[in-house]
Amino acid sequence: MKAAGWKRRLTPTRLLAYGFSALTLAIVGSALAMFLWQSFPVWRHEGLGYLTGKQWHYRGQQFGALPMIYGSVVVSVLALLLAAPIGIGTAVFAVEVVPGRLRIALKILVELLSGIPSVVYGLLGILFLRNWVYTAFERFDPLSGDTLLTASLLLAVMILPTTMTLSEDALRGVPNAQRIAARGLGLTRAETVFSVTLPQAAPGIVSAVLLGLGRALGETIAVFLVVGRQDNQWPSNLFSLRPLIEGGQTLTSKLGGSETNIAFGDPLHWAAIVGLGLILFALTAAATLASLWFGARRRDDA
Amino acid sequence: MVGIGVLAVWLASPSRSLAATLKINGSTTVNLPVAEAAEVLRAERKMDIQVDTQGGSSGGISALGDGLVQMGMSSKHLTATDRTKYPKVRFKEIHVGEDAVALVVSRDVWESGLRALTKTQVRDIYEGRTDNWKQVGGPDRRIAFFNKEPGRGTWEVFVIWLYGNPKTAPAVNFLEVGGNEETRSKVASTRGAMSQLSSSWADGKTVFALGLTDESGQTIEPTAATIATHKYPMSRPLFLLTNGEPKDEAKQFVDFMLSAPGQALVRKHGYLSLDELKQ
Repeated sequence: MKAAGWKRRLTPTRLLAYGFSALTLAIVGSALAMFLWQSFPVWRHEGLGYLTGKQWHYRGQQFGALPMIYGSVVVSVLALLLAAPIGIGTAVFAVEVVPGRLRIALKILVELLSGIPSVVYGLLGILFLRNWVYTAFERFDPLSGDTLLTASLLLAVMILPTTMTLSEDALRGVPNAQRIAARGLGLTRAETVFSVTLPQAAPGIVSAVLLGLGRALGETIAVFLVVGRQDNQWPSNLFSLRPLIEGGQTLTSKLGGSETNIAFGDPLHWAAIVGLGLILFALTAAATLASLWFGARRRDDA
Repeated sequence: MVGIGVLAVWLASPSRSLAATLKINGSTTVNLPVAEAAEVLRAERKMDIQVDTQGGSSGGISALGDGLVQMGMSSKHLTATDRTKYPKVRFKEIHVGEDAVALVVSRDVWESGLRALTKTQVRDIYEGRTDNWKQVGGPDRRIAFFNKEPGRGTWEVFVIWLYGNPKTAPAVNFLEVGGNEETRSKVASTRGAMSQLSSSWADGKTVFALGLTDESGQTIEPTAATIATHKYPMSRPLFLLTNGEPKDEAKQFVDFMLSAPGQALVRKHGYLSLDELKQ
């Protein structure tokens, strides 16, 4: 019986599926291996200090990536805090409140946002957002409009479609019978949303938000243009809000900058740059895996 | 599919193999107008041109010296050492334009009456000892210094002027900017801002070029006249280099760079063209 089962499994479709999965795995695996291999010199040079060091001076052969990890995490998390309520709110509104045709119009409108190339966002950021942040926070005397906050605001708009669309999918996954039952029990629409649909859709929504985080961590050009690209910015107090209106550097803005060109040919400097890619890879992978984990929970529950 | 189609047409095209390849190597600064001139000549005259920037100006000189390329690009004069190193090569410098780096400030700094800085003052700003305009006779405002990214020609001219060699420049952590457009827009929109910028981008409307005061107390502004005579210290010539008089494709290329469209490309990339130097 076992042999027959195996035979049935080896249909052309399955073979193709396995083949392509293996190919994807091989590509990811070899990329990871390349990153590890190419960044090896910097791990030997700095040890764990590569992750915890706060000074990066390539001409002095000093490579500490912590301020860039800080920059990436702060910018992305803040963007998420701004985008998640709006994204989830829009999704609830679209699924639970507005009728069919308007819902589709709303969805198209939000999804149009994701079709805009990120360099366009960056240029809009330079034209408007920089100046807005510079003026709005004038009494705190920011040095310029290039700040972590500017980058966060820009990213928030960019990840809005991801959080909104996926949250909407999660909400629509909640069976209609449950809503009807809730309304039948005398719950108002708001009560239905808060005590029935949102809790049911929660794992899917968390998964949507985490995918947004993954997108935010990896965004380069738009952030590059407004974050200031200021090296070695480490706050004296980690919970202070002041650094938000100062310039900074993210992993991606460093990778997008001129140092990548300069580093080529110098094994240690190159390794340090590739190492940043590896850190970014790890952060994005963590966000995506967490998202998948929550997504899987949703399916188990349903 | 389109790519394959284009490739097929290109392979079938008879004119492809007629001209010899013109190889050019050298300075990243000179590369900007040269690469674009190469585009134009490839399209209009079907010339086969390869432009590379291995090793910058000195890379261009050695590649020409070793006979690897027919033309070098350099943003500095040849030295006696270069000539003794390649005794058989008759280096010829073809002046195609001039580059100057201006120190530009935002309107509020300019309107406070600050017009020039000394080298010591600039060094103090770059090394962080001076962080308020008040310390150099400007308004009471923090200096928002936008540093050109390392590796940019502009940045190199600046640190060579201050420290003699990019390698000995101190490590600094300023806000960084890249291209001229970005630099100008950020300086213009920030109070107390300053940056290094190609002088032809200093328009005097959104950003303003400071003069440099030398030891004798004389202030030199980056004008066409002071740049042309090298009185302004952060100016430098842009050269094409050939071995002897340029011939064939190289001559065609040089002629194009010196013609009106070629000189327009020099201006387009923020440098002074030859007729601007003569004014």
